[in-house]
Amino acid sequence: MSSSTLNVLDLKQEKIRLLHLSWFAFFLSFVVWFNFAPMLSSIKEAFDLTNQQVKALMILNVALTIPARVVVGMLVDRFGPRIVYSALLVTGGMVCLAFAFANSYEAIALLRFLMGFIGAGFVIGIRLVGEWFPARQVGLAEGVYGGWGNFGSAAAAMALPTLALYFGGPDGWRYAIASTGVVASIYGVFFYWRARNTPKGSTYFKPKKSGGLVVSNKRDLIFYIIMCVPMYLALATLTWKLSPANLGLLNDAASIALYVVLVVLFVVQISQILRVNSDVLNNIPIPEMQQYKFKQVAILNVAYFVTFGSELAVVSMLPLFFMETFELSAVAAGMLASGFAFMNLVARPGGGYLSDKFGRRKSLSILICGLAVGYMVLSNIDSTWTIWVAVLATMCCSFFVQAGEGAVFAIVPLVKRSMTGQIAGMTGAYGNVGAVIFLTVLSFVSASNFFLVIAACAGVIFVAVQFMEEPQGHTAEVNDDGSVALIEVS
Amino acid sequence: MHFDGGLKLAIAQRSSAGQKSVNEDSLGICVPKDEQLTTKGAVAVIADGVSAAEAGKEAAETCVTGFLSDYFSTPDSWSVKRSAQQVLNALNRWLYGQGQNYLQAEKGYVSTLSIAVFKSQTAHLFHVGDSRIYRLRDGCLELLTRDHAMPISRGKSYLTRAMGLDINLDVDYRAADVAVADIFLLSTDGIHDFLNSSRMQAIISDAGDDLDQACQRMIDDALAAGSDDNLSCQLLRIEALPLEDAGDVYRKLTALPFPPPLSAGMVVDGLVIEDEIHASPRSQLYKVYDATADRHYAMKTPSANFNDDPAYIERFILESWVGRRIQSEYVIEVIDPPQPPTCLYYLSAFEPGKTLGQWMTEHPQPSTQQMLDIILPAAKGLQAMHRRDTIHQDVKPDNILIGDNTQVKIIDFGSCYVAGLAEIAVPITRDRVLGTAQYSAPEHVLGRRPSTKADQFSLAAIVFEMLTAHKPYQGRLENCTTTAAFTRLEYIAASHYNPHVPLWLDAALCRALSISPELRYNDISEFVHDLQFPNPVYSKDNFQPLLSRNPLMVWQGISLILLICLIWSLGR
Repeated sequence: MSSSTLNVLDLKQEKIRLLHLSWFAFFLSFVVWFNFAPMLSSIKEAFDLTNQQVKALMILNVALTIPARVVVGMLVDRFGPRIVYSALLVTGGMVCLAFAFANSYEAIALLRFLMGFIGAGFVIGIRLVGEWFPARQVGLAEGVYGGWGNFGSAAAAMALPTLALYFGGPDGWRYAIASTGVVASIYGVFFYWRARNTPKGSTYFKPKKSGGLVVSNKRDLIFYIIMCVPMYLALATLTWKLSPANLGLLNDAASIALYVVLVVLFVVQISQILRVNSDVLNNIPIPEMQQYKFKQVAILNVAYFVTFGSELAVVSMLPLFFMETFELSAVAAGMLASGFAFMNLVARPGGGYLSDKFGRRKSLSILICGLAVGYMVLSNIDSTWTIWVAVLATMCCSFFVQAGEGAVFAIVPLVKRSMTGQIAGMTGAYGNVGAVIFLTVLSFVSASNFFLVIAACAGVIFVAVQFMEEPQGHTAEVNDDGSVALIEVS
Repeated sequence: MHFDGGLKLAIAQRSSAGQKSVNEDSLGICVPKDEQLTTKGAVAVIADGVSAAEAGKEAAETCVTGFLSDYFSTPDSWSVKRSAQQVLNALNRWLYGQGQNYLQAEKGYVSTLSIAVFKSQTAHLFHVGDSRIYRLRDGCLELLTRDHAMPISRGKSYLTRAMGLDINLDVDYRAADVAVADIFLLSTDGIHDFLNSSRMQAIISDAGDDLDQACQRMIDDALAAGSDDNLSCQLLRIEALPLEDAGDVYRKLTALPFPPPLSAGMVVDGLVIEDEIHASPRSQLYKVYDATADRHYAMKTPSANFNDDPAYIERFILESWVGRRIQSEYVIEVIDPPQPPTCLYYLSAFEPGKTLGQWMTEHPQPSTQQMLDIILPAAKGLQAMHRRDTIHQDVKPDNILIGDNTQVKIIDFGSCYVAGLAEIAVPITRDRVLGTAQYSAPEHVLGRRPSTKADQFSLAAIVFEMLTAHKPYQGRLENCTTTAAFTRLEYIAASHYNPHVPLWLDAALCRALSISPELRYNDISEFVHDLQFPNPVYSKDNFQPLLSRNPLMVWQGISLILLICLIWSLGR
């Protein structure tokens, strides 16, 4: 018996057990991914880093995730979620161990960059949960998966400084970070042992091949290609940041090589897009039923850009920001900064609920409006503020941010069912693009201006959201008396 | 149905006795008006009774009328080839039987026969004898058949193959593609022996849209050319082909909306939802109550996950189509809804009971007899499907229902392959069924066209699991995706896990579980027979050399001998 509610304590059900297995895997991947943020002050000290170098580390951490999502998506197609998730956790844990005991800035920069890979874990779990839950529960299950998993960054911020203190000494941070890597690796093995790709005895159909979104007309095709550009721009920005022109972590030859790689990747992706959209190019009309408006996808992308993108950016910088502004200890700063990600537990599922209840566009508009105001408030935080008020402000702001994420993902499946996977993938990638862009901004401006930039972005995106059309499902509806009503569909 | 209609033909036919006194030719065209046009197609038949025979005229008439009536009586789910083959065999036997009264077979009921069946976007041609089928496309008249005639002298030839000539019949079969504006010509030798193909082509082209006139002119011209035989011809022009317009198919597929998520107490078309039986990412199953008939049904509804996936919707719609066409007490009954449905769902009989999967957890070590009590009816259910040219493709413990009254039924037609439907081309990409890992036959995974032997494999896998509580091939089937991986699999005999499994039963299982379908039983009935009765071929204890029976002892023995030799040589 399944209903639209989900009893997460009913461990007798195989799918509930799987849900717990997967959200915890995602949770650990987030812990590992953001385990450096609360430790930044120690790392800064240990390697005697400049502020610019620290900020470069933050950007490096989120950069590889953009292309990694695509790679991980393909791996899941080929090998199934179970083995890919375990492999990701085990290798991620190993890289984390290497990071913990690295001895030069070049080494930690490289290893941080590689750890961006573990941020792509989200995609795997979404696929896995989708295989296990029936349609009416899958939204809620994915909300639990995403929300509880994202909480990992808060857990890292809360627990790691204390753990570092417990290990003690100047190398305490190393042991704290290493321990997360060890846990992730061990859990990776456990996950392989316990999780299964599909419920026992479920019928399989050959998965449809996917190369890119299939759009409905030529204008949308151009729009789609334009929307792919920012992903490469974000990576190009990072390359520039590391090139001799800026930080000088890369030499000239290496940075030019990276630019070339990016251009080649872009060309490959465009050719793939044109290949799957050959019907549109050749003016073969797409059946009405298969048509959708690409602008819906684009709007969701930018909405996620400002919500999830800003969350990742803020989670990376907040502990250090608190520490420096209020002159706190690492432990206290970590604890207080964790408030931002803490809201994930309720805010993300809550955003989905609001969206279902009060209309998609309206709730998304209000949430984005709220986060714009929230970031405006955060931009005013300085040492004169009482700490508790500052924490409260971050928590309020983060509620809007994460509820916004939930609202975005409540709309994603409604744009075009058969392409939900690709739309979700592109939207998720935009979240990472947002993180890279915002963190790059942070490397140029003060924290207060950084918050203002996000608020300004939110303002622009608020306008964009107004162009979104309320998605309409092609299903019969239920009358108040319980009989199923018919909607005439032309 | 979403693929109904669309095929339009312009037809004309003429027949004339010519210089002869009797017309021994016979011809007929049938273009059904209803759903049969889609499932069975339009048929043109032409037959030329052999004049040397006593009853050539009767034979030709029997062929045409018999084929036209019997072909459309075959099940909708049969392929054109199978339907025609069955009908032609029966017709041939009957003609041959009638001809037995004559001393020589060729003196009896003998006729040539050429048939064109237009179904979907293909013309299926069946041909025996020296009547002909031509196709005119882009100003080029192409002969699609080969005469079964042996010339014996100038202008004289005799038939090497014909209906009623022999007890065994070899019919040429050919599937030709069809395009709009193609013209098909069926003719008897009174025409094509006297008019060359460029002449015929000119006649057809000159007549333009008037096919009747073309037929008449062909007969007139052949007579003028000195034809001394009966003259008959049929012309069919393809005016429109079905399912050309993808948009139209999509509209038909989505004519009915998906039902919303249902919960107890809701009412759909007068059916009260009582309970949700099962929900998966692909569908939901509810127990519903029909107050007017005071009956319970099971209602299957599509999952909102697929509400814009045409392949899924087509499959869902066809599920009930298939179910309605299979009548067997061992297959779940699909029920017509009491009111015209207003959204997409279908009803089947509600059978309180449990699936074989649940039964197996409750009975971990069933006796052979208990196993047979379930497998035999299940096999009969599958046979009923196979007789309808339908392959279940997803036989697994969860798709075998054991009623509280111990009645066993096959459920779930969601993965079926129906030969008659597979022939109907639709402008959507259809899903490929892979079945359920652990039970699905290797040919599914390898992408070969599965046959009924795939169901045999799955059923055998279930028997294996029931008897041994283990999956066949050590449960490694699900990891195999290539031919090489399948050939590396090692079959562990059932008796290895359960010593009570007799040797002959083990051998039957081993054969039905062969990776290569060619090595399995030809029919599922042979397999279940061998499950019940010891097959003498298998009960003989095959002689095996000691080396393979007990290699350890052989090598230990050799070592011992060598050791003795060594000690002996040292002691000298």
